[in-house]
Amino acid sequence: MSHDSGGTTAETTEVAQDESLFETRSVEKMTRGEYYRELFDTWIAAPLRILRSDYRGIFGFALIGIFILMGTIGVWIVPSPEATGPILQPAFKSMEHPLGTDSVGKDMVSLIVHSTPAMLKMVSAGAIFATSLATIIGVSAGYLGGTVDRAMMTIVDVAMTIPGLPLIIVLAAVIDPTSPYLIGILVTINAWAGSSRTIRSQVLTLRNQSYVEASRAMGLSTFTIMSKDVLPNMMPYIMMGFVGTARRVIFASAGLYFIGVLPFSTLNWGVMMNLARSNGALYSPIAAHWLWAPMMAIVLMSLGLILLAQSFDRVFNPRLRAKHQKSSDADDSEVLS
Amino acid sequence: MLPMGMNRVAKRLIQSAFTLYAVATISFVLIHQLPGGPLAYLRAQMSQTGQNPESINNLANVYLSFRPDEPLYLQYIDYIGGVLQGDLGTSFSVGEPVSRVLGEAIPWTVFIMGTNLVIAFFVGVTLGGFLAYNEGSRFDISVSVGSTFLQSIPYYVLAIIMLMYLAFYNPFFPTGGRYGANVEPGFSIAFLGSAIHHGALPILSHAIPTIGGWAIGMRSNAIQVRGEDYLRVARLRGLRQSRIATRYVTRNAILPLYTSVMIAIGAAMGGSVITETIFSYPGVGYYMFEAIQRQDFPLMMGGFILITFGVVGGLTIADLTYSRLDPRAGGVGE
Amino acid sequence: MTVSETQFEHEPEQEIILEVENVSVEFDMERGTSRVLDTVSLDVRRGETIGVVGESGSGKSMFASAMLDAVVDPGILSGDLTYYPNEGEPVDVLNLSDEELRRLRWEEISLVFQGAMSSFNPVIKVEDHFVETLEDHGYDVDEGLERAHQLLADLYLDPNRVLDSYPHELSGGMKQRALIALGLLLEPNVLVMDEPTAALDLLMQRSIISLLEDIKEKYDLTLVFITHDLPLVGELCDRLAVMYSFQFVESGPTAEIIDHAKHPYTRALLNATPNMQMPLETMRPIEGASPDPVNVPPGCSYHPRCELADDLCEAQDPARELIGDDHDVACHHWEESADAIPFDRGESR
Repeated sequence: MSHDSGGTTAETTEVAQDESLFETRSVEKMTRGEYYRELFDTWIAAPLRILRSDYRGIFGFALIGIFILMGTIGVWIVPSPEATGPILQPAFKSMEHPLGTDSVGKDMVSLIVHSTPAMLKMVSAGAIFATSLATIIGVSAGYLGGTVDRAMMTIVDVAMTIPGLPLIIVLAAVIDPTSPYLIGILVTINAWAGSSRTIRSQVLTLRNQSYVEASRAMGLSTFTIMSKDVLPNMMPYIMMGFVGTARRVIFASAGLYFIGVLPFSTLNWGVMMNLARSNGALYSPIAAHWLWAPMMAIVLMSLGLILLAQSFDRVFNPRLRAKHQKSSDADDSEVLS
Repeated sequence: MLPMGMNRVAKRLIQSAFTLYAVATISFVLIHQLPGGPLAYLRAQMSQTGQNPESINNLANVYLSFRPDEPLYLQYIDYIGGVLQGDLGTSFSVGEPVSRVLGEAIPWTVFIMGTNLVIAFFVGVTLGGFLAYNEGSRFDISVSVGSTFLQSIPYYVLAIIMLMYLAFYNPFFPTGGRYGANVEPGFSIAFLGSAIHHGALPILSHAIPTIGGWAIGMRSNAIQVRGEDYLRVARLRGLRQSRIATRYVTRNAILPLYTSVMIAIGAAMGGSVITETIFSYPGVGYYMFEAIQRQDFPLMMGGFILITFGVVGGLTIADLTYSRLDPRAGGVGE
Repeated sequence: MTVSETQFEHEPEQEIILEVENVSVEFDMERGTSRVLDTVSLDVRRGETIGVVGESGSGKSMFASAMLDAVVDPGILSGDLTYYPNEGEPVDVLNLSDEELRRLRWEEISLVFQGAMSSFNPVIKVEDHFVETLEDHGYDVDEGLERAHQLLADLYLDPNRVLDSYPHELSGGMKQRALIALGLLLEPNVLVMDEPTAALDLLMQRSIISLLEDIKEKYDLTLVFITHDLPLVGELCDRLAVMYSFQFVESGPTAEIIDHAKHPYTRALLNATPNMQMPLETMRPIEGASPDPVNVPPGCSYHPRCELADDLCEAQDPARELIGDDHDVACHHWEESADAIPFDRGESR
């Protein structure tokens, strides 16, 4: 059976320097059941186990989990915001409105919660789009090489250089998007470029690994090689790219909604900030909480994503892992603090 | 035979030209093609006021730098030619040539973004070096954790907070403008002081969240460099600690940060739209935003092109500096 | 002179220049304490070439680092290390201040180790490395560079070309030689070389070895040559010291060791050395694996792999004994080893 498939936990000290946790070397025939079990173990169970061992992973996961819950179940539990409460009540004054109310009496908590689905839609659409595009381009360019590579990379380089925000603004002005999914994708219009370069360099390293050469010698189709040999080892980078892009989507979309570039279609945190601003929250401290609530939501969700990304990086980077085995003290205290 | 560094810079220049060209083309396409775009808008405006087609075309030429009655490819050539000569059309709302409006604004944007990049980089890198030196200490851990937290704060959130508490609620800093209303521009201390006073919050709001990022990056690079063989040999050679710290650790640790510098330049220039709008700071970003509000397409596209120009310029400078620092650089960057 | 009374004290005719006494290096790891040098002692004599031989992981590189008090963090070095300069008082190396240690290194004792590939700072020129070293030790730069030119020329390098290059522009062999030149720049008395030829091809190896012989004569050096390559040291060294499992197991004059080694490990090692002229079947590797530094077997550390091992070996770690002229061994059964492990030498080497 392939070694290391998900059996690696925090206590194992024997991870070889160049091995990725996701390497599957065995080419034995397995039953369907075994295959799927292994897939599950490698891609779901193992990462979860690994995340559990690092405080950053735990926190990150928890934060993101909270937001996902807010955006799905929370919307049912928490009532829709209605203009029934007192106007501009500050936060922490009453249990009924723990975060205060806005200028028409809507409860801040329900505003935040009901903004979350839109944010989640934007983030997932954008992250999935950008990551998929980056992966396809990065893997193809890296693996196929030659003119394909060069052509793709020229396009990627130009795309990377074009400043993102202005491009998004200009496109938004002309397209006038309303759907959160579309906005999510629009916002990542050139974010995929940077990731595709990272993925490509990884692919280049992998390409020269012996097992890939073996597959080529065996005459497996390029597609098979790309999906069975290359892709699983790219998972760490793909996941990190995903998380990074998600963060960028939040930052960019909230910012653009805040200044009013993106049209007000669905309730989201950026829109809340915009409303707060146009109602004078910048000038008068009375309305400050109206700004604080969505800002904190943005910060917390970003924090969750950053923590996740950092714990992925820490765990998947074999050099960092080996380092942890050698210098036990400093890093352990870091983990436990 | 070109010296090694030239290859990289040459490649960068070609790429810059290509990027600008691509941006101008995108501009043209957007202006021209998409529904609700400036051409349609202009036509609608003009037909409302009952002008004849000939004058519409003339106006289009003035505002958009091409004539709609000409074949498409000629329009394109006109437009690109115009851009190359610095003609970005005329602003609908301001009535002035875009290049003049933005030309006056761009130094301020460069001032803000350039300063913030420089501050963030140098402070961050120094901090990172320091952290690496004290690896594992409580200082190290707390600063690293703090930096992570800071990185989750978008610069505009920090900008808003600063505006609220340092400008509006408590008037320590001005709430807008590039310099005081009563101050005469010129090389006087009063002017410089006022400019800095007005620029402080925009600069800091951008710099502070990113300092943490540089520090963490530099820290991990420095730690990695410390484990390298040549570091060990340097100590065995009995070199002075100060020399090892600067010439060996710092210099080698900074080099990999270069890609991040590239990205930061792009992000800073692009982010000027949001930052300048928040602070009512009339730079290119601010005008671009205003242009959107007023549906002023020439101004908007001009802003887009100019910001790209700023990014590309910054990247070229970065490339030049890098070639001088790393003797291994020179060929195609990978 | 020496204070400690140990059984195996040789009475050398030459002076001692570097004295290693009961030096140990320990690392605290998650799975236990790793002892990568276990109470080793060795006298390095002025003007000799002594070879320290052992397998990978026997502790010999750690020994090299220990001699400059340059053990990597977080290793802990204990014991005594005394250096006897040409004139003046003996120097207690381990208790030097940081500044004194910095000066000792490279001025008196240099260490050149393998990995010349990455021993140079990639962002500065080779010449700068020389200049830096001269400056930081307070030597005259112009004089020093002249000497550098001479050294590089002695090593068959083109001084101007090499000095003006960046490290990545030089080949492996050139870098290795440049590193040796750098090591000799401040005219040290002792040059410790840790596997300096390991990464080089055979031809380059031979030429560097003969170069070393010339340089040693010309500059009046004491060489400590650390390697796993027996035939190499056979030619170059006056004396050999064999390391196994982080300890010295035998030492003596080269000829004596090669012909009359007494420790079972040494004999097996000599037998295992490939010889082009011998038939394949006569080459015998040593069975088993070398011990893990955290889990060294009790008693004699070689006993799990030794043909002569008995209960005594399992229980008691043998001490080093002087058994002949300048020849010491750490084995309970050294007298029987010659018969039990015959040398398989069909032809002379």
